[in-house]
Amino acid sequence: MDESETLGTVLKRRGFSRRSLLKFAIAMTSSLALPPSIAPLMAANLARAKRRSVIWLSFQECTGCLETLLRSSSPTIDSLIFDFISLDYQETLMAAAGTAAERTLREAVAANKGEYLLAIDGSIPTKDGGVYSLTGGRSNFDMLMEFATDAKAVLAIGTCAAYGGIPKAHPNPTGAVGVEDLVTNKPIVNIPGCPPVPEVLSGVLVHFVSFGKLPELDDRKRPLAYFGTTIHDQCYRRPFYDQGKFAKSFDDEGARQGWCLFELGCKGPVTHNACASLKWNGGTSFPIESGHGCIGCSEPDFWDKGSFYTSLAGGSSTGWRNAGIAAAVGIAGGAAAALSARRKPGAEPAGPDPEKPDPDKQP
Amino acid sequence: MTLLDFARGIGLQAAVLIMIFGIFWRAAGVLLLRRRPQHASSRASLIGRIAGGATMIFSRSIPRRTFWRRIGVSVALSTVFHVGFLAIIFGGAPHILVIHQLTGLSWPNLPKGLVVIISGLTLTAMIALLIRRIAHPVTRLLSTADDYLTWLFVFLPVLTGILLSGETVAGYDTLLALHILSVELMMVWLPFGKLMHGLLVFASRGAMGFNFARKGAAT
Amino acid sequence: MTDLSSFSDAGLVDALLMEVAGMLGRLIERGETATVDLRGLPLSPACIADLESRLGHGEISVQLDAAGRSDIHETGFPGVWWTRHADEAGRPIALLIEVTTVPDILRADPADMADSLQRLAGATHFASHQHARHG
Repeated sequence: MDESETLGTVLKRRGFSRRSLLKFAIAMTSSLALPPSIAPLMAANLARAKRRSVIWLSFQECTGCLETLLRSSSPTIDSLIFDFISLDYQETLMAAAGTAAERTLREAVAANKGEYLLAIDGSIPTKDGGVYSLTGGRSNFDMLMEFATDAKAVLAIGTCAAYGGIPKAHPNPTGAVGVEDLVTNKPIVNIPGCPPVPEVLSGVLVHFVSFGKLPELDDRKRPLAYFGTTIHDQCYRRPFYDQGKFAKSFDDEGARQGWCLFELGCKGPVTHNACASLKWNGGTSFPIESGHGCIGCSEPDFWDKGSFYTSLAGGSSTGWRNAGIAAAVGIAGGAAAALSARRKPGAEPAGPDPEKPDPDKQP
Repeated sequence: MTLLDFARGIGLQAAVLIMIFGIFWRAAGVLLLRRRPQHASSRASLIGRIAGGATMIFSRSIPRRTFWRRIGVSVALSTVFHVGFLAIIFGGAPHILVIHQLTGLSWPNLPKGLVVIISGLTLTAMIALLIRRIAHPVTRLLSTADDYLTWLFVFLPVLTGILLSGETVAGYDTLLALHILSVELMMVWLPFGKLMHGLLVFASRGAMGFNFARKGAAT
Repeated sequence: MTDLSSFSDAGLVDALLMEVAGMLGRLIERGETATVDLRGLPLSPACIADLESRLGHGEISVQLDAAGRSDIHETGFPGVWWTRHADEAGRPIALLIEVTTVPDILRADPADMADSLQRLAGATHFASHQHARHG
């Protein structure tokens, strides 16, 4: 592929007219919550742009994030995103392996120095020199620090890469951390979720390729367009929450009526993501619509927030044993206080003592 | 760990344990004090004395007619506050949920809109009572830091609760954390200040009624 | 089952129509086009259906086949268009109200036209004649 080719040329070769590109841009501006009037500008910029090199490194991950981005039952306009980027290195997808793969990586970095996007999925173990996740004998930590140096920006894809995810869950035996804990001198975009909504990555990449910069981010470095609201704010079951109609157990009458799942542990009110509006599997459904409360998978440390089925209103219990101990200690303390009060002179309530004769009365 | 994690986790456990410890401390400390020996025989049977105690718990909540003109308003406000506060705790769906998660018990909840209205009335009554406490020379003289702190630690949960149900002023997670923390603060304070009257009132009125019945006095 | 999707907020639909009227006014006065992204608004399916029926159908209906099907029709109010874009799998990817004389996507793109010219020239007998002569 000719490196100097613009996307317009690439798309023409694939049989996509400029009209298709405009349609794609319209869909993207809607997804990114940009004003629809920007679509023609985005389309024009995309046509003029060169394919952006993306180098994807997989660390301590389950490959779910990659799978989610690739799964599509039929080719759709979303697949255009793979025309806008040149995925120069991705271990699961590429044909090369071993030393050939390593050479590919070095060549891609050298050819796109300072311009490539570094995509990371999976957390980075730091304990014991990072020995718990190695690629070709090199630790994830070393690879991240080396390849972040020449990247234009780093995309932390999935909750593991963004915040540490499941490897970081207590007791975190490998010392797993997210990208932002290690890389401090590069623009970072967090695209959390376990897995993340695929449209978010497309949106971020398209924004970057069209406008040369990352979309607006919130204080957790997540794209505001997708993470600016909570699941609760967009949930179609919200009217039931407001009316106080809750399912009390799975498959009870309330659950069958589609009532709110707050009492079954839904973490929607404290979870920022786009699931309730964009949904999953091409807009098919999302956990709440399928009858299970949100588990808060795009928030940091969601594995360590107690049971998925304890509501936000409830918390962790002390247990009857500890309560009993507290009561016993209290009784002991109170009894000691009462006993010492009893011993003091004048401990009896005031009143005539029948044992002593009253000097004012005649016997 | 976020503020909400603390509030739902260690904070909740610590507050509950401190409250249990404190309640038993106070209860034991009061119940084990020496009582005046009663040498006269009782005018009522044991059941009669117990009935007297139970009666007095309720009869003391209604002021005697001679006093109505003077204290009627503040008693009315106080009733609105107490009934409202209990209605919120035992009628609000999220509170019943907490009790259910802790003990397994549950019962039907009041409609959310009704609880919001009650919360507004409770809040208003509390503010009115505070103003009266400060404006009236006698209550102002008698009031201590204990009184004001107790007022504050009860006011905060009701206020944060209304804000949380309206999901206004701050994000949901912040409001929820503040609400739970304010409840924990109230729980920790409860055994050690005037708020303990919530439990001791039953003991003190009950004991008094028991003794009155013993003497044959009206309860 | 309580059907939330059948709940239509008449006030919201009225407000939107007022906004569209304002946009149409600006189009007439200053030639300014505008677009409303309906998927970015908190509208239930019933609201959207209500809006579509109140705007109605005008004289033009267009079916577009570009990376999936799109349906564009002029509403009963000339200058106000209803656009529905779907991808190749038929999934909706955008729903718009466009206030313009003709939606941009219907116009032929200069780059596409340049490409057509090339292909057209290559498709004529004259060109193949040239080929035959020059080998």
